[in-house]
Amino acid sequence: MNVWPLKFRELPDGSMLFSDDAGRFFKADDGFLDRYATDELSVADRSFLKEGSHSFDREFDLPWTSFAYRWSQRQSRPEKMNYVILVPTLRCNLACGYCQVSRAPDSARGFDWSDETLAGVLLFLGGLEGPDIKVEFQGGEPLLRVDLLETVRDFCREKFSQSRFVVCTNLQKLDTRAWAFLDADDTFISTSLDGDRTTHERQRTHDDNVTDGFFRNLEQAVARYPKGKISALPTVDVANPPDFDALLDNYERYGIRSVYLRPINHQGFARKLDQGDNVLARWNRLHSEFIDLLIARNHRTGRFMEEYYFTQCLKRVLRFDTNNHVDIRNPNFFASDYVVIDYDGRFYPTDEARMLSRIGRIDLGIGDVATGIDQRKVEALNSGAFNHFDPDCIHCAYQPFCGTDVVDDISRYGRIDVPRPDTWFCGRHLSLFDKAFEVLYRKDKPTRASLAAWLGVAAWDDGMAPVHS
Amino acid sequence: MIPLRIKIEADADHPFVIRLRSFEGGSWQKRPERLNPFDVALQHAGPEGADYAGEGGSIRVFGIDPSEVDGDVLLVNPRRGTADRLVRSSSPHNTFLVTERCDQVCVMCSQPPKKHHVNLFPYFETAALLAPEGATIGVSGGEPTLFMEQLFAFLARVLEKRADLSFHVLTNGQHFDEVDRDVMVSLDQSRILWGVPLYSHDPAVHDQIVGKPCAQERLLENMAFLCRVGASIELRTVLMQPNAAGLPRLARFITAMLPFVRIWAVMQTENIGYGRMNWKTLFYDSSAGFDAIGHAIDFVRSRGIDARLYNFPLCTVPEIYRHLAPATISDWKRAYRKECDGCSLRTRCGGFFEWHPRDHGYSKLGAVQ
Repeated sequence: MNVWPLKFRELPDGSMLFSDDAGRFFKADDGFLDRYATDELSVADRSFLKEGSHSFDREFDLPWTSFAYRWSQRQSRPEKMNYVILVPTLRCNLACGYCQVSRAPDSARGFDWSDETLAGVLLFLGGLEGPDIKVEFQGGEPLLRVDLLETVRDFCREKFSQSRFVVCTNLQKLDTRAWAFLDADDTFISTSLDGDRTTHERQRTHDDNVTDGFFRNLEQAVARYPKGKISALPTVDVANPPDFDALLDNYERYGIRSVYLRPINHQGFARKLDQGDNVLARWNRLHSEFIDLLIARNHRTGRFMEEYYFTQCLKRVLRFDTNNHVDIRNPNFFASDYVVIDYDGRFYPTDEARMLSRIGRIDLGIGDVATGIDQRKVEALNSGAFNHFDPDCIHCAYQPFCGTDVVDDISRYGRIDVPRPDTWFCGRHLSLFDKAFEVLYRKDKPTRASLAAWLGVAAWDDGMAPVHS
Repeated sequence: MIPLRIKIEADADHPFVIRLRSFEGGSWQKRPERLNPFDVALQHAGPEGADYAGEGGSIRVFGIDPSEVDGDVLLVNPRRGTADRLVRSSSPHNTFLVTERCDQVCVMCSQPPKKHHVNLFPYFETAALLAPEGATIGVSGGEPTLFMEQLFAFLARVLEKRADLSFHVLTNGQHFDEVDRDVMVSLDQSRILWGVPLYSHDPAVHDQIVGKPCAQERLLENMAFLCRVGASIELRTVLMQPNAAGLPRLARFITAMLPFVRIWAVMQTENIGYGRMNWKTLFYDSSAGFDAIGHAIDFVRSRGIDARLYNFPLCTVPEIYRHLAPATISDWKRAYRKECDGCSLRTRCGGFFEWHPRDHGYSKLGAVQ
C-alpha cells in the first residue's frame, strides 16, 4: 500500500488536521502523526487511509485514478474569455474616504471612453468566441454614462447567445433612462451598503440628504425588482467597524441574504488611510466573530444569511469543483477568462491591478484595446500565479484549498517572493481556513444548521467531517 | 397505459422501419419540411384504421389515433401484424432494448434475462436517425455491452450523423476492457451518459444482489477505466432491504473512490420481474425510514457530487428532499392511485409504477395539500 503524502496542521483547539494534495482531509491525534512520521502505521491506520482514498496499491487502480481525478479537478483551468469588467467612466458623484480608484469629479473632462475607445472595446468583444458573456460595468459611477452602457449591452445581446450584465452602482442618482436600463431581466445591480445608516453615511455619503437619496433608490429598486436582482457589499474599516447586528438587519431588510465582508482595499489610494497596528490580526478576529454572530443569528431567526467568501472557502474545502471565484482559485492565471478595460481603453488583469497602476506604484497594464493584450506581461504575472511549488505552501495543510494573489503581494510588498507566512493573503487565509475547519467539526445544533444552509444540503450531522480515532 | 406495441397490417415479408407522418390527404406535399424516404404519410383515417403510404412502404394502423403517433418511428413486423414504437416523438422516454441476454441475475431485475438474442442494431440505427431533434435515446437490455462491437459501431455512426442526439446507456459495467480505450475516446462522451449500478461498498452485498461472484471487483476496475476515458457516469443504486442500512457507507465510498460520477441516483424498486418474486425481502419502505437515505445524499452533495431520488413518489419523501426527486418513472409505466386525488404535487410527481402493489408498499403516502 502506498500512502499519498499527508500534510498536517495543529488547529487552534489543539487538534490535528491532515490533508492530501487532492484535498481529502481528516482529523486524528498526535499518536497517528507519530506513527505516520515513523512509518509505523497500524492495521487500523492503514484501513482508515485506504477507505478514505489516501492510499493506492498500484498505478491506475481505482484509488489512484480517483486521487488523480480529484487533484486535476482542483486545478483551475479557465478556457475562454467570458467575463469583462468595463470602466466606461472614472467620474463619480460620490467622494468616499476610502475610494479605491481615485475617482474623478462628476464634472471632470477626459475621464470617459472616447469614441475610439468605445469602438476598440466593441472590436475586442466582437472577437470573443462566446457563446456566453458576463459584463460588469464599474467606475466611477457607470450610470453617469448610461449611453455607453446601452451601446455595449445592445452589441453583446446581438453577438452572444447568452449575456448577463451587472451594473456596479452607488444608486445615488437615477434618472428615467438609468431605471429603464436596469429594468431589463438580463441586467443586475451590485451596490455598496456599508451597514447601518450611520456607518454608510460616515463612510460614503457624508450628508443626510445624500444618504436619503441612496436609501430611497435602494428601497425603490428592492420593491421594483425580483429577488436575486440586487446584491450588495459592505466595505469594513477595521479601525471603526460597523455594528454587525445592525448591518445584518439592514441587509435582510433589503432582501439580501448574502454578505461579502470586505476589508478596505489596499490597492488604491485607501492604502494611505491609517488603520492602526495589527490590522491583519484585528481583521481576522473581526471576521471570526462575524461568523459566530451569523450562526447565532441564523439559529435565533430561522432565516439563514451567509458571509459569501466564508461559504466559498467552506466549499473549497469540501468540494473539488469550486474554481469559479477569481479571488480564490489555483492556479489563478491572468487574462485567461476575465479582463478589465479601463476608462482609457487599457487592459488590466484585475480591478486591483488597475487601482495599483492608477496610483503610479507600478504599471500592471497589459495592453490596450487598440493593440491587444500583451501576452509577455501576462506570462510574467502568471509565473507567480499558483501555489504548487511555493516553499511554504507545499508544507501547508490548506494548500489544496487555497490560492494566490500576486497583485496584492506587489501592492503591499513591492515583490512577489516574500515568504508566504509574512503576507496578508496567507495570514488572512490561514485564519479563514482555521475557522472553516473549526466550524466543520463543531457539534452544536446552531452551527450545524447554518452549515447545512450554506452548503445547500438538508442536514449536517455526525460523520460529515471525517475523524480517525 | 401508453401502448408500446400496436396492431398493424402491412403487405411485406420482412421487418422494416418507418416514420409516421399524420397529416392527411396529401397535404404533406405542401408542407415545408422534406419527407425522408422512411416517412409514410397518412392517406386516410377511419373506424377501420389509419392508412399510411410512402417511399418506405404502406401500412394500416389499428386502434390508435393518428394524432398520437405523428412522428413516431415504428419497427414493423408484417408477419406478426404488430409494430413496436421504437421512438415515440412526443415522449422523452424512448429506450432501445438491444438484447435480453445478461451475465448478471439481479435479485430485483425488472426484465429477467433470456438466452435468445436477435440482432436488431441495424433497425435501431435507422430509428435513431429518424428521432426528433435533440432527443435522448435510452439503450438498455439485458446487458448491451455483451454486444460491444455492434454497440460501439451503432453509437459512433449515430453520434456522427446526428449532432443533436444523446444516449443514455444502461450497463452493468462488467465488460469494458483496456482494448476498448481507443473506441471509447473516439466517441463524443459528452453526449453519452453511462448508467452503471453499484449496490453496496461491501463486495459481498453487491455480488449477492447481482448474483455474480467478484462482480463488484470487476465493476470498480472498469469504473477507473471509464473515468480515464472521460465517460459521464450516472451511478445507480436500487434501494432494497439488503443495502438500505449501508447507504451512508456507500455514500462515503462514492466520495472517496468515485468522485468522477456525474450523478448518483438512489432508486426505488420496481414490482415486476424478479422484483415481484422477491418483493417481501426486497422492498424497503422509505416512507417509514428515510434517515439513512437523507444522510447519504447530503453527504455526497456536500462533496459536490449531485444526487437524486429516482422513482420515489413525492409524498413518500420528506419535504426538504423533494426537490431532488424528479418524475423519473417513464410515462408508459406511470400510474397514480386514488390517494393521489387532489394532491398539489401531482403535476411534478412521477407517481407509481403501474404495477406497484396496492397492499405491499409504502406505509405513508397520500395527497399533499
